[in-house]
Amino acid sequence: MAALDSPLAASLLGAGTRDLLVCPHCDAVHRAVVLGRHEVAACIACGRVLARHHSLSVDQLLALTVTAALLFMIANSYPLMIIEVGGMHTETTVWGAALLMLHGWAAWPAAVLGVSMFMLPLLQIALLLWVLAFARFGRRAPGFGGLLVLLHRSRPWSMTEVFLLGALVAIVKLSSWVHVTPSIGIWALASLTILLTILSMVEPRFWWTLLQAEA
Amino acid sequence: MTAAVRAIDAGLLACRTCGLVMARRSAPNPRTFCPRCASALLERRPRSAETTLAWLVAGVILYIPANVLPVIYVSGVGGGEESTILGGVLSFWRSGSWDIAVLIFTASVAVPTTKFLALGLLLWTVHRRSNWGRRQRTALYRLVEFIGYWSMLDVVVVALTAALLKFKALGTAEPRLGIVFFCGVVVTTMIAALSFDPRLIWDMGSSDGH
Repeated sequence: MAALDSPLAASLLGAGTRDLLVCPHCDAVHRAVVLGRHEVAACIACGRVLARHHSLSVDQLLALTVTAALLFMIANSYPLMIIEVGGMHTETTVWGAALLMLHGWAAWPAAVLGVSMFMLPLLQIALLLWVLAFARFGRRAPGFGGLLVLLHRSRPWSMTEVFLLGALVAIVKLSSWVHVTPSIGIWALASLTILLTILSMVEPRFWWTLLQAEA
Repeated sequence: MTAAVRAIDAGLLACRTCGLVMARRSAPNPRTFCPRCASALLERRPRSAETTLAWLVAGVILYIPANVLPVIYVSGVGGGEESTILGGVLSFWRSGSWDIAVLIFTASVAVPTTKFLALGLLLWTVHRRSNWGRRQRTALYRLVEFIGYWSMLDVVVVALTAALLKFKALGTAEPRLGIVFFCGVVVTTMIAALSFDPRLIWDMGSSDGH
């Protein structure tokens, strides 16, 4: 539930700006408080979630990110599904589906797919690995600030979960004509989607204040 | 109602990228940068409503060819057939896959239409300086933000179908021009939603004359 103080002007005057949170959706000022387990802080004016408790340490986040990187490799090196017709078979990966369309006017949607379903998820995982690997040893990664900005800006365009649902729809659609077998790739993609969702629930404030206490 | 203090009135400024809160010394200009993340510091997104409107209009225009033109061509033993988005939904419905029909209808028709109407309503009420249902309108904005990219679903389905169905004699599938326009609708409406500054809802019509 909401765990923020009522932001009265008088109490704000004494607070340092480091302890303040401003709602990005309505501009209301709040004083940050430490959240307990399962607590979520919401804006008193517009209801936007401002902060979320999470109990994951840097080590645990790093472990999740390494797992996500391995799953990403598996999801992209093994076929998502295999279809068979009269002794012949075809298969595809995330990358393969985008590459096949890469000619003529179909190159435009293919490029959007390649960027949002392959390149940006890869970029997100790589950035998290870099930042967390250094944080593990109590150091700020080179390029920390710029990389976090990149992480923040690219997030809305990273669409692994949409690809997963699309692949499932394609399996059902194709199975009415031909024999379709879901393959290793789709299981890896499903697990990757769950991990990326968990990692994206870590609030931006956590990343920006990472290692700041020690500094 | 709640009496929240707003940053703009309290002489505070929050970085829109990293959230760092600072005391505002003078009117920020594009040459002021956040000390933590080096993003340009601005009180509000410049020309937010105009930019949103422009991308929204582009999305509505692209949505027409996206629906009129076929998105996929499938050939089988019995000959070939082109189909539009709505045609695809109908054929799923008729063949008994009502669940897939509902899913594609939601992602390709309901989501874009909701985005057009919701962003249109937000722009109109901001323009009118309305202070009606601010909390609800902000929630509507969050809905638009959340549903945005799910429209990409049909593009994925077309790409995968075309990549897999490549049996010369028995069946092939190819993307058709409609999918380019549809992909354009998703991208333009996502940019429209990201350009809209929801704080405008709260800036307008307040008693202190902002």
